[in-house]
Amino acid sequence: MNQFIENRAADEVPFSNVLEDLMTQNIEKHPDKMEVLKKMKGAVALNLQDIEAVVTLHFDGGKMTIDAGVVGKPALVIRTESGQVMDLNVLKIKWGLPYYFDKAGLKVMSHILAGRLKVQGMFFHPILLTRLTVIMSVM
Amino acid sequence: MALKAFSQEWMDAWLKSIQTSQEYKEIAKEWEGSVSIIVNPDPSKGIPEPIYMWTDYWHGEAKDFHYCDKAKAESANFVMSGEYIRWKQVAKKELDSTKALMQGKLKLKGDLTYVVKHVKTVNKVVDLLAALDTVFPDD
Repeated sequence: MNQFIENRAADEVPFSNVLEDLMTQNIEKHPDKMEVLKKMKGAVALNLQDIEAVVTLHFDGGKMTIDAGVVGKPALVIRTESGQVMDLNVLKIKWGLPYYFDKAGLKVMSHILAGRLKVQGMFFHPILLTRLTVIMSVM
Repeated sequence: MALKAFSQEWMDAWLKSIQTSQEYKEIAKEWEGSVSIIVNPDPSKGIPEPIYMWTDYWHGEAKDFHYCDKAKAESANFVMSGEYIRWKQVAKKELDSTKALMQGKLKLKGDLTYVVKHVKTVNKVVDLLAALDTVFPDD
């Protein structure tokens, strides 16, 4: 366990280890993302249907806990495939917001419009979604 | 004629296919760093000992592919390891390498954010590997 991520799904969902490593390295490389993480509160479920990996990320005051499966009632439920998650990771961040008007951004938009990336709760929790995108982006 | 998987001739052919790929040069123009590949032993499949391979890339060029020892393999910028059967599946394009990482079927040591950012480079290198006419030890 590192300082800001507790991975309770490590043994059950191998993807959670990749997610933990990616988030840890990303925040260490971009300390400004830590400030975004500190503002996050709520839970997000991530369901990667093609690899049958489901985790719930709980955010609370700069700490992220990863649980296996859907735990509680997450504000956001993201259903997609592993390849599309990678596309989310390469979204550029401009002025503190995800940027959808370049090739990478348009690709993510096309996934949403085509139903390849479904985000339940996006209209009720847009700030949480924006912050999640910011901390997941490696750009 | 089919090349024996994990032989020096096979690595040379892979290196040559990368060096002569214009598409690779374009996609990989920002990639810097060595990647070692560790194939875990599987005596039942004709792999009695671990195989350590060194591959090196620099801004669209592929520099050097050869066998190495454990210490050298572990000194690469990126260390990818996994069971023989997984590498075989990747080399035959039966398993997507990114998906394999997310599923924990392959392990990566190194800067994951860098790999995510340059996933197209990784995919192209694997595509070129898969295009080789290869015979595997357990075929």
